[in-house]
Amino acid sequence: MAELMDIIASFLASSLRQAAPLSLAALGVAYAEKAGILNIGEEGIMLSGAFFGFIAAYFSGSLFVGIISGALGGILISMIHAFMCIKVKANQTIVGLALNFFTLGLTSFLFLLVFGQNTKLPSVASLNPITLPVLSKIPVLGPVFFSQNILIYILYLAIIVFFVVFYKTEWGVRLTAVGENPRAADSAGLGVNATRYVSCIINGVFGGLGGAYITLAQLGYFQEDIVSGKGYIALVVVILGRHNPVFILLSAMLIGFAESLQFSLQTMGIPLPSQAFSMLPYLIAVIVLLLSAGKSSSPAFLGIPYERDKR
Amino acid sequence: MKRKEASLAASLIVLFLTILLSLVFIGVAGDSLSSSISGFFKGAFGSAYSISEVFVKAIPLTLCGLSVAAGFYSGFTNIGAEGQFYMGAVAATVLGMYCPFLPGFLLIILGIVLSFLFGGIWAAIPGVLKAKFGISEVINTLMFNYIATGIVGILLQTVLKAPDAYFPVSSYMPEGMWLFKIIPGTRLHAGLILAVLSAIFMYVFVWRTWAGFKIRAVGSNRRAASCAGINVSLSLVLSSLLSGGFAGLAGFSEIAGLQHRLLEGMSPGYGYLAIVASLLGGNNPFGIILASIIIAVIQVGSQGMQRSSGVPTAISNIILGLVVLLILLRPVLVKALSKGDNNG
Repeated sequence: MAELMDIIASFLASSLRQAAPLSLAALGVAYAEKAGILNIGEEGIMLSGAFFGFIAAYFSGSLFVGIISGALGGILISMIHAFMCIKVKANQTIVGLALNFFTLGLTSFLFLLVFGQNTKLPSVASLNPITLPVLSKIPVLGPVFFSQNILIYILYLAIIVFFVVFYKTEWGVRLTAVGENPRAADSAGLGVNATRYVSCIINGVFGGLGGAYITLAQLGYFQEDIVSGKGYIALVVVILGRHNPVFILLSAMLIGFAESLQFSLQTMGIPLPSQAFSMLPYLIAVIVLLLSAGKSSSPAFLGIPYERDKR
Repeated sequence: MKRKEASLAASLIVLFLTILLSLVFIGVAGDSLSSSISGFFKGAFGSAYSISEVFVKAIPLTLCGLSVAAGFYSGFTNIGAEGQFYMGAVAATVLGMYCPFLPGFLLIILGIVLSFLFGGIWAAIPGVLKAKFGISEVINTLMFNYIATGIVGILLQTVLKAPDAYFPVSSYMPEGMWLFKIIPGTRLHAGLILAVLSAIFMYVFVWRTWAGFKIRAVGSNRRAASCAGINVSLSLVLSSLLSGGFAGLAGFSEIAGLQHRLLEGMSPGYGYLAIVASLLGGNNPFGIILASIIIAVIQVGSQGMQRSSGVPTAISNIILGLVVLLILLRPVLVKALSKGDNNG
């Protein structure tokens, strides 16, 4: 029995570790999507956060500076995205993809420029777990959830704050109005574009933190394309979690669980192609989209720029 | 400035800014600007081989670019060309592995038809979901990319795996299925002809047929098209089928022309680059050919630049991202330029 508990605890812990960067990024995406901004460029935002977070931590020797820089790196890309989508009113899908190309190029370009072509990757010590008193004493769950690094505590806090903002505050209603019916929101005197710019900043912060999690908490180093599709998976997490902060964490943990299960099956030597698991989240996302057809959780005006003078 | 002049001026500004910003990046990283630039041109045009490498890359890019454009005409945003490419490649591989007894010309014709159908159906599923249930195709086509690469991985570890291979690769296709080399001694294959014929086919279909007209009508105004009695759903699905079909052809062309077997990671993101190609080519079939060549020149040239003066090849992604952002900025430039004159 105790053994089973240990296995469950270790699976939960590894699911949470895989889920953390996805959840952080997905919270930002969910916020921006509520305001009507579709961000295919999340991959680029995370990559920028991973890169600037790492490089700042490396040169300052402070992981705190790294975390802040990661968030700023996310904001940098997210603000270009915001400008192109809100001001220029360009196609948001294409802007996002272009930013992904741009960031992929820029980060590996700058990385090679700073560190040169080395056989040994430069690295930083990764974030230490902080054990919370009392909470970490809860059997099984305590050590899993309350003996983690600072970014995971930020994640918990953000989930609570986002939940309250989305469902319990005036601000959440404004956000929904701007995404669902920008014209009505504008008539009611809500600043559509201002709300959208703010949502992009928040998306940048959390996408950047998600990226910084990969370099500062998971790996301790940076290399080309280190985010490797996690930005796209964050978009999936938002769909699975139906824009609800709590469900977002659960969906991300489900994906994290599929990943950990895949690792353990491989180490146990069970000859099942790893792709059978890695493609599951995407398959589930398609099915969720299909089942929720007509009652989708996405706002009506997702991805559509607001033009005040056009009917 | 008149609108037409303003439009031309804006294009020139976009071109100028792209070159200028690229030169800044190159100047920062390279040994010297002149050796970087000569390395770039030597890399892309220095020999018959390097020119042929440009076209080798331009073939799948053109076909995938046509794919993105075919969807664009009806308003079907296809970011799933990558997955449709792999489904086409799977269709060609299955044909080659299970019917090696067929004569070569039949393998090629059947390969073209099957790849087109497989790629097409892979795109038509999100097409139907959009037409019938109103589900956004952007996320679905993206999901289908991951599902397709997952399927390729599973197939390559099970039924399609070459018996003697250690890595997950398929057996080689029967030689009758291999496309001939256009220039002997290089890798340039007859997929080039397939790509050009596809562009002509698409031009004729979209601009010279009734079905093509309906697709464009749906793309420019769905509601008006519906009021005019056009079956919007049918046109949407047809356009998505066509869209996936071209990407499937790219998969066939890479199997029959270049790799001769199915591999994981066969496409270095052609399906995503194709979106740049279609935008750069103004969604015109022949513009897409030109745009694909330009993108291929940037990629092959940047490899030469890395050899000559140590500029990281990542520069090509920076340039491509910048080009797209600047092109998207163009309408704002045109507006600003034509307005300036009216006031003055």
